[in-house]
Amino acid sequence: MANYLAQFQTIKNSCDHVVIAVEDVSDLWPNIKSGFEERVPIKRASLNNKTRNPVLVENFPCEFILTTDSRLRSRFPQEQSLFWFREPYATIVLVTCEDLDEFKTILKPRLKLIVQNDEKEWFIVFVSRAHPSNDNAVKMAKKVYAKLEVDFSSKKRERCCKYDIHGPEANFWDDLESKIMECVRNTLDRRVQFYEDEIRKLTEQRFMPVWNFCNFFILKESLAFMFEMAHLYEDALREYDELELCYLETVNMPGKQRDFGGVDHGDDWAALLNSENKPLTQIVQDDSFREFEFRQYLFAYQSKLLFKLNRPFEVASRGHSFIIGFSKALTLHENMLPFCMREVWVITACLAIINATASPNYDGLVAPDIEKEFYRLKGDLYSLCRVKFMRLAYLIGYGADIERSPVNSALLSMLPWPKPPVWPSVPPDASPEVLEKEKVILQASPLIKHFGIQRKPLPLEPSVLLREANRRRASLSAGNVFEMFDGRPTLIDGSASDASSRTPLSKKMNAISMSRTNSSPGTFDGSVDRPMRLAEIYVAAEHALKHTISDADLWKALSSVEKFEQKYLELTKGAADNYHHSWWKRHGVVLDGEIAAVCFRHGNFDLAAKSYEKVCALYAGEGWQELLADVLPNLAECQKMLNDQAGYLASCVKLLSLDKGLFSTKERQAFQAEVLRLAHSEMKDPVPLDVSSLITFSGNPGPPLELCDGDPGILSVTVWSGFPDDITLDSLNLTLTATFNADEGAKALRSSTATILKPGRNTITLALPPQKPGSYVLGVLTGQIGQLRFRSHSFSKVGPVDSDDFMSYEKPTRPILKVFKPRPLVDLAEAISSALLINETQWVGVIVRPIDYSLKGAVLYIDTGPGLNIEESHVIEMETCVNISQSSAEMTNSNGTQKDCSSASKKEFQQLKLQDGRIEFPAWASDVNSVLWIPVRAISDRLPRGSSSVTSQKQSNLDGMRTIALKLEFGVSHNQIFERTVAVHFTDPFHVSTRVADKCNDGTLLLQVILHSQVKATLTIYDAWLELQDGFIHTGQGTGRPTSSFFPLMISPTSRAGIMFSISLGKVIDKDEVEELQTDSILNIRYGIYGERTNGAHPPVSMDGTEPEDARQDLLFKSAIVLQRPVLDPCLAVGFLPLPSTGLRVGQLITMQWRVERLKGLEDNGISEHNQGEVLYEVSANSENWMLAGRKRGHVTLSTIQGSRIVISVLCVPLVAGYVRPPQLGLPDVDESNISCNPPGPHLVCVMPPALSSSFCIPP
Amino acid sequence: MIVCVAVVGHQNNPLYIQSFTEADDALKLHHIVHCSLDVVDERVNNPKKSGLTLNETFLGLLYPTENYKVYGYLTNTKVKFILVTTDLDVRDADVRNFFRRFHAAYVDAVSNPFHVPGKKITSRTFAERVSNIVKSFGLSSAG
Repeated sequence: MANYLAQFQTIKNSCDHVVIAVEDVSDLWPNIKSGFEERVPIKRASLNNKTRNPVLVENFPCEFILTTDSRLRSRFPQEQSLFWFREPYATIVLVTCEDLDEFKTILKPRLKLIVQNDEKEWFIVFVSRAHPSNDNAVKMAKKVYAKLEVDFSSKKRERCCKYDIHGPEANFWDDLESKIMECVRNTLDRRVQFYEDEIRKLTEQRFMPVWNFCNFFILKESLAFMFEMAHLYEDALREYDELELCYLETVNMPGKQRDFGGVDHGDDWAALLNSENKPLTQIVQDDSFREFEFRQYLFAYQSKLLFKLNRPFEVASRGHSFIIGFSKALTLHENMLPFCMREVWVITACLAIINATASPNYDGLVAPDIEKEFYRLKGDLYSLCRVKFMRLAYLIGYGADIERSPVNSALLSMLPWPKPPVWPSVPPDASPEVLEKEKVILQASPLIKHFGIQRKPLPLEPSVLLREANRRRASLSAGNVFEMFDGRPTLIDGSASDASSRTPLSKKMNAISMSRTNSSPGTFDGSVDRPMRLAEIYVAAEHALKHTISDADLWKALSSVEKFEQKYLELTKGAADNYHHSWWKRHGVVLDGEIAAVCFRHGNFDLAAKSYEKVCALYAGEGWQELLADVLPNLAECQKMLNDQAGYLASCVKLLSLDKGLFSTKERQAFQAEVLRLAHSEMKDPVPLDVSSLITFSGNPGPPLELCDGDPGILSVTVWSGFPDDITLDSLNLTLTATFNADEGAKALRSSTATILKPGRNTITLALPPQKPGSYVLGVLTGQIGQLRFRSHSFSKVGPVDSDDFMSYEKPTRPILKVFKPRPLVDLAEAISSALLINETQWVGVIVRPIDYSLKGAVLYIDTGPGLNIEESHVIEMETCVNISQSSAEMTNSNGTQKDCSSASKKEFQQLKLQDGRIEFPAWASDVNSVLWIPVRAISDRLPRGSSSVTSQKQSNLDGMRTIALKLEFGVSHNQIFERTVAVHFTDPFHVSTRVADKCNDGTLLLQVILHSQVKATLTIYDAWLELQDGFIHTGQGTGRPTSSFFPLMISPTSRAGIMFSISLGKVIDKDEVEELQTDSILNIRYGIYGERTNGAHPPVSMDGTEPEDARQDLLFKSAIVLQRPVLDPCLAVGFLPLPSTGLRVGQLITMQWRVERLKGLEDNGISEHNQGEVLYEVSANSENWMLAGRKRGHVTLSTIQGSRIVISVLCVPLVAGYVRPPQLGLPDVDESNISCNPPGPHLVCVMPPALSSSFCIPP
Repeated sequence: MIVCVAVVGHQNNPLYIQSFTEADDALKLHHIVHCSLDVVDERVNNPKKSGLTLNETFLGLLYPTENYKVYGYLTNTKVKFILVTTDLDVRDADVRNFFRRFHAAYVDAVSNPFHVPGKKITSRTFAERVSNIVKSFGLSSAG
């Protein structure tokens, strides 16, 4: 059956659609052919798939072929059964007949003959040629057709349809199509069944020796092909998948050593998408196929079907795993394949799949995740291709142009060298090439890293190529290679662990290759003893590869370094782009870095920088510092080349802030030097720079700095410098952020002086201007280094910022500064509340009480109010407060830390001088309560007046009040101000009241003068005399002094003393002299005072200060006294007439009556009255007690003759019960001393409560 | 042979990475581990596609490359363990077992009260223990 393989292939190639046979009984086909063929491909068709489920197929292709056609005729029965898939799937019998008899006799038997073959699926198309206008013919045709239907159609199945040649019925074509498809479906089902049965039979024999894979393959592929013809691609694909599985099982069966294939020229060019690459007959081996070709063949068919199914994604995905798997197979057979055949095949295979799936129309066809996966696969394919390509390039000596980056190292250094049976040797005529390669090797200088960074380059080779190649060539001792050759150290470096890491399998392989080498000595022409040099290896590999590679494009890409680089870039970009579209962003970005490396080499710094930035961002973002340290210097170099100072500086700072173990001190110093060089020299404009990772700061541990509102302070901050050397900051600013109010802008503290930061911890102090109340946290640290404006946002708790703490800039929650709300910081209060002596120099005490606040350097401004002078010539005394008065003790502040004055350690005393109204506090007074004694004198030129029982004089305290405005400036910079006006009470030492104690018969009056002490001090009266007013004279010849033996008279504080004067009335001086006469008597008292200034009044302060303390100071006190004229003097007498005896009741109307009587005639009276005989009166009463009716004020006529009298009466209603003062009658026009009153002073009357209202109680 | 093991934090930051090669080429292993995070991310983000149930901590083979294999393991705190091995025929059970022991070692290491979560693991004990686990992995797969 395997012999049919060639035929099978031919048949497959020649027919690719379903055939429908046309049995043209009545020679009608030429007439209707065009109409039929217009209907194909059939728009919609329903078929059954392999599992007998209906599948809708669109545009089902088919071809009408007459049974008389040669294509259907000349077939042998055996062929027919084998290649059954190409036989017609339906037979259409075309008939016409216009006569019933003819039908019965001729047509019917003939038709019966045609349709008797059960194998065929058939139906009859009756073609009616009758013209519609010819009714007869139409009728006849109908009759014949009816007959036909009766004969050939059954209940189960319609097998007839009628085609009107002059105008087919509307549904004819649908009918025809459905009939065709019905036949096709049935045939297909039957044939699928047939093939399946056959395949099952073969599968059952699989493990028998007679089993032949080729037979199985023909059957399986026939079935698959049939499905494909019917557009049932899914089923076809499944058949191929099963075929592949089955093949892999058989090919891996042990015991059968088969040729692998792949040794033909051109085999290196992967044919995994090209099924026509080689005819199957060429790859048949025994009863099966060669693996190399056949697996590609199967994959080609699978991918073809997948493309037809519009599933390029699956092509890529299957392709990727196919390449990986196939590559493994190639490895197993590598010793039989040409040099680097595997690598070349993988490259071409990847490129083939990439190109085949490159159509951009797939977008949006599938779900996004499938699309992403698709891109990922393409990225993988590109990447795989790229690796193999790099490997080839390395073998022919382009290794110096391959970046020794982690990604390349990871890909290449773990990829074993190719293992050809014999390493290619140098062709005989290649010495010029060898020389050239040597030159290239010598010229290539090791790539110098920027900043003088010294790193061992990463390996690109799994083991030293020199050793590997020579070992594979012959049984040379590999150990001597180093000594024998001046191999480049960079290439010899790298993984030397190849031998140790090799799996047992590869060891076995080596052994095999060894033996092969020895068995074929002809390949080495004399050079077998001499190991190859590196250049020779390159040249040899190049020649061998040239032999291997049949893809001209690929070879071109390897022909020169430039072409290599071009292809390398193309592949890298392809991989990166596709990865970027997939989930695998990291892969993409890393490959961007590889592109950047190439750009960098070619001086395309702009592009390189952009890509490097992405790579750096990726590594930095996830904290892969080792990788970042590898690529960041490159970025920095790009930025330097581009003159991107900001970027360059940022990179330098980033380099400095990387883990310290990643760079040596010398390298780190180089970074710092770069920063400083730029900062100080090159830049024209200031460049901002974020150094958050390098300079961090924190507040000092411990409680935050606490300040009172308005106070400046000094803030101490710890700054950590990550620079390896000292660094000078030209200026430094630190912002504070208020925690209570986010809107409030951050306050910046400045330190304009240069600060030198040592590596590690530094403490910086900053002057802190007054801040608003609240708590503050550290904000941003900014500053300047040369032209560099740096800022740092990061805070460190106790140590330098952790190198791997890359994502969390922890916001400090701990406040660094607390500014308290305004509160009293000091209190100024008067030391004493009792009165001081007026008109004398007195000490006024002011208690200064600091409230938890230092008054260091405080200055007090004193400003006295009117009527008060400070004795500026005198010193001001200050002493610690011994005893705090009650009032100030109440003012202890809330935290209760008030110091007890008495417990003050030492009593201090100091004399201060007032200068320009201000005094400066001594240092000792800054924390303790103290008293300031200020010498003042209250001036009052008013003569104090005594009071008598007649003229009760109200005493006004206000007269003696004086104020002192105090203003205290204190705080660190005198920013705190406390103002207080202190009231000081001054008073005369005495208040004098007088009364006539007795009136003797001889006209002598005993005047009692009562002295009330007004001060809290002991007063001593040394002398007292009375200067009498006109009309009074002293009795006897005395000078008005009491007996001198009375004196000195001591008066205790707030007590009283009395002095009697004996006076008598004298004559009244003439009217003319009235103005010059004194109207008041003056009491003179010479006295001394003994008192403490801490209590109240005290002896006046002596101005010169030399007087001894106990010296007596005589002071003089004068007071005016009103002496009442004797009763005879009055010219008018007012008498209050008695009230009714029943008494007064509330609400009861009564008449108040006063009698006014003239005691003297007007002639001898000095009292002037304007209206002769008229007297003005006024009744006054407390309106709360009395309601008055009638005229309260008015004139009454009173005769000027002595003795004339008149009664004034007013109606009153008492309003309040009790003893109340009755309304009083006054005569405003008459001087008080001329009125004699009865009763003489204020008196009270009794008012009864209102009587019970009896009117309601008495019955009518 | 296991060439590299790594612990990667939930923000994809390396917490511990140790290579077991003699050559000075740790950087390439860093790269492999870093790039394998792509696959971990993909698996975690598309659990349906990868057929991975989220209850399963073992992520399986991440990289089907020709020359080395990368296995992943994801703890329920989203900490990833990555294993790079050059053994091409590794039994899944061995790897699972390895990761189980590694996880236990990790849990012990981060339970140290002086360890700051999210910071690199610097414990020498952990390093020794990992090294032992790695060594025993080699033995069991050989045997």
